[in-house]
Amino acid sequence: MAIGSLVAVLTVAQAWVLSRAIAGVFDAAPGLDYLTPTPGTGAWPALGPVIATLAAIFAGKALLGWLNTLLAHRAAAAVKSRFRRDIMAARLADPLNEKTSTAGLVNLVTVGLDALDGFYSKYLPQLVLAITVPVIVGVAVLTADLTSAVIVALTLPLIPVFMMLVGWTTEARTARRWHLQQRLARHFADLVAGLPTLQVFGRAKAQAIGLRKTEDAHRGETMGTLRISFLSALVLELLATLSVAVMAVTIGFRVVHHEIDLTTALFVLILAPEVFLPVRQVGVHYHDAADGMAAAQQAFDLIGEPEAAAPTASATPPAGTVLAVDGLGHTYPDAAAPAVSDVTFAVAPGEFVVLTGPSGGGKTTVLNALAGFLSPTLGTVAAPARARVAHVGQNPGMLAGTIADNVRLGAPQASDAAVADALARAGAPGLDPARPVGDDGEGLSAGERRRVATARALVRIDAGADVLLLDEPTAGLDADAEETLLRSIRATGVAAVVVSHRAAVLAAADRVVTIGGPR
Amino acid sequence: MTALVVKLLKDTPSGWARVALAILLAGLASMSSVALMGVSGWLLSRAAEHPPVMYLTAAAVLVRAFGITRGVFRYCERLVGHAVGLRLQSALRLETYATLARTTLLGRRRGDLLTRIVADVDAVLDLVVRVLLPFASGVFVIGATTLVLGVFSWPAALAVLASALLAGALAPWLAARLSARADAASVPARGALANVVHELSRTAPDLVAHGADAAALDRLAAADARLAAIDARAAWTRGLATGVQTLAAGLAVITGLWFGTQAVRAGTLDHTMLAVLTLTPLALHEVFNDFTKAAQTWTRARVALERVQEVLAEPAIGSGDKEASAPAASPHLAVAGLTIGWPGAVPLASGLDLRVDPGEMVAVVGPSGVGKTTLAATVLGLIPPVAGTVDVSGTIGYLAQDTHVFSTSVAENVRIGRRDATDADVTDALARARLDLDPARLVGEMGTALSGGEQRRLGLARILVGDAQVLVLDEPTEHLDPETADALLDDIRAAAASMAVLVVTHDPGVVARCDRVVDLSR
Repeated sequence: MAIGSLVAVLTVAQAWVLSRAIAGVFDAAPGLDYLTPTPGTGAWPALGPVIATLAAIFAGKALLGWLNTLLAHRAAAAVKSRFRRDIMAARLADPLNEKTSTAGLVNLVTVGLDALDGFYSKYLPQLVLAITVPVIVGVAVLTADLTSAVIVALTLPLIPVFMMLVGWTTEARTARRWHLQQRLARHFADLVAGLPTLQVFGRAKAQAIGLRKTEDAHRGETMGTLRISFLSALVLELLATLSVAVMAVTIGFRVVHHEIDLTTALFVLILAPEVFLPVRQVGVHYHDAADGMAAAQQAFDLIGEPEAAAPTASATPPAGTVLAVDGLGHTYPDAAAPAVSDVTFAVAPGEFVVLTGPSGGGKTTVLNALAGFLSPTLGTVAAPARARVAHVGQNPGMLAGTIADNVRLGAPQASDAAVADALARAGAPGLDPARPVGDDGEGLSAGERRRVATARALVRIDAGADVLLLDEPTAGLDADAEETLLRSIRATGVAAVVVSHRAAVLAAADRVVTIGGPR
Repeated sequence: MTALVVKLLKDTPSGWARVALAILLAGLASMSSVALMGVSGWLLSRAAEHPPVMYLTAAAVLVRAFGITRGVFRYCERLVGHAVGLRLQSALRLETYATLARTTLLGRRRGDLLTRIVADVDAVLDLVVRVLLPFASGVFVIGATTLVLGVFSWPAALAVLASALLAGALAPWLAARLSARADAASVPARGALANVVHELSRTAPDLVAHGADAAALDRLAAADARLAAIDARAAWTRGLATGVQTLAAGLAVITGLWFGTQAVRAGTLDHTMLAVLTLTPLALHEVFNDFTKAAQTWTRARVALERVQEVLAEPAIGSGDKEASAPAASPHLAVAGLTIGWPGAVPLASGLDLRVDPGEMVAVVGPSGVGKTTLAATVLGLIPPVAGTVDVSGTIGYLAQDTHVFSTSVAENVRIGRRDATDADVTDALARARLDLDPARLVGEMGTALSGGEQRRLGLARILVGDAQVLVLDEPTEHLDPETADALLDDIRAAAASMAVLVVTHDPGVVARCDRVVDLSR
């Protein structure tokens, strides 16, 4: 705000110095007009101080412009850092929420939030200028010439009014066209992404004809949209430029009639475009603002989303048990029916309980409630603190690093020997702990990932955890490996809750709890 | 890249004429605002001599006209510019599509090439509208202004030209160079931030379950701080370019005033022209405001279009489309002494012998990277075998792990398998694939998203509607949860009971269901 005001003051000063200098020279020189020859006063104004002042003013404006860029960047960077942290904290607060894909999240946190740069470095400064400059410059024009100030005061408010009118009248049509245009625009992206699929059906080359038609339609629709959406820019430019032109002609004729002097007239003429410039620039940078606001809105949606997913291990398990659920039921947001309802069971220390039931019956939901990843909408869950729980999800996440790094996520102090031993017990004695793991567990098959995650759980049990939660641990294993794994789990002697639909796992259980029942 | 744009312009009906018209209109629009200020300055000065009003009428009319033409010319320029830009974009899209369709893409590890090229192609519109038009019209305006001012005072005109080059060429060039360097410097930092976010999102439950969430947020903060530091340096230099532009405007105004005054004192210049010499540069420099942005757009657009050109220049590999095959009385798939590999690359596997007859399901196993999808592409006839023979008799279908769901109805998606399939055929194929979806429902990006299992069943329906006799399955269970995978395999087995099925996989669960296993890594 302060910078905007300073820029406005410097602009007024520049106009003042320039108009006096030009008028001074004008008066000093003899007029060459043959009809009304005017003798010059001969008193030439000293140009030295004028030029020094002008140089100082422009240097000041340059400095302020530079400073403005730096400050805008600092503001944007602070907001972006804050958003990044909050978004990812929200992601961790609700670890199962995958409403926004990882790719979407990466895009938002890196490129998406960069739209805020445009908002802070272009739109916001222009908005500030659009408020400060017309006020300060307007007052300057008012002190110099009342009529010109009245013209400014009448035309300036017309700009937002007309912009809104144009926006309103074209809104519905623009929205409809925009929607169609988006659909056509995505056709190309969709076809290119599906090219390998089209090729295996021998249909890729034939689609080029359809693409040509879509492209022609797309171009037609886009031009139709643009013809309307450029209208608001046309109105903006017309009003701004025509106002300056009308003011110039008006003061011109008033100079002829001795109503104002040349200095005042030039002063007003130099300032006139400056009043309209920031308002026009706000229009130009409106898209930066819209993009920035959209990114911020997306961020706010993510941050505001966690459904109080704090671990609900509030109740203590009944005596003689380590884990208990009582009347548990859960309905996901936006779901019509509950995913699971009325589940009650308790697990004694060392007991091996298998949760089974039909696909989609809510087995994993129960396990996630036990792990504290979601708070059930009904009933209570009594589970020990996180440090006492070892958990392996259906698609365990892998960190970039080595297999040993990933096993040590369960217990950072685990020795090399303990890591190798845990891998062997998890049914993967052949995995080299030093083998590198890429992003997303690249280099490991889905089965190997599950083995590594199981080893992770085993070292955590060695480090003191006494509850084991497993989701489909034997998927992708042959019968021998399945047998080894089940023996290892039993050998730990801790209470285990395992989701599975495999017969071998059911056979090894102390107790089977059916979730969901026949539907 | 210039060659690419020139070729596109040549292929576009009256492409050059349209571009020239757009440049002319843009130049006239900018010229209008410069002329408005210049003529107004003269009008006021002349008025101060208090002549009869009729001597001012012409100037007054001109000023009002310039007030209108600026907006009108700008509007026309935008429409003409976008019209030709969109035409070039369409032409480039078609060209890119045709090139990609000619070369076999299945199994090529090209990362995000396909998604990136879509955005890269769009850069051609930016190049015309946001780079070519502003710069070309800028040259026009600078030239015209210099010439007109030169008539009255050539030193002032030369000073304006110098200041215009400073603000319109040097400052944007500086900004583009510096920001390109900053962009390059920020790429690794950006990548590091993306990696942290990616890993955090993919492992959120694991991090939370193991109490490693706070440490992960610290890693995020560290990556963010490194990126912010690099961005701060970029902002510093961007600000410098803005400052240089302001100083250049000052230079133009001051020299105009200085040389103008000297000329008036020397009696070589009428005193009404001083305001013109001083105020015209002020208006001229407003034209350069967007040049810095245009220069940065140019840098980005050039990189994008160079990538497109690289893709266009690549020689085609394989046939692109699978050849149509006719149904056979005794369908089978047999390979003998087969060596597979991408044309021009090191062979991936050799000495392959296998035969699959109807009702059989044969697994080909091996770790990732051993050439399983390459084998599929070879069997489908999309790329030639390096050595040995491929003998496929009957219609052949392929079910990929990442089969694409097009943004249209379920029925149209199924018809990818057979173009002339009737509604009854589609319903039947969906039922056999056990996919309970309304054929009229919109799916894909603009419709509802399908789950991994549904997506693969849609792919199966495509194959079934095409009456395939030989089926190649590529990692059918990848990325599916165990229950969905088991159910899908059961249903594929049932639907493909009479087909000859070849499965490439590394999932022991899939192998266990097959009649025979061939290990590709041996």
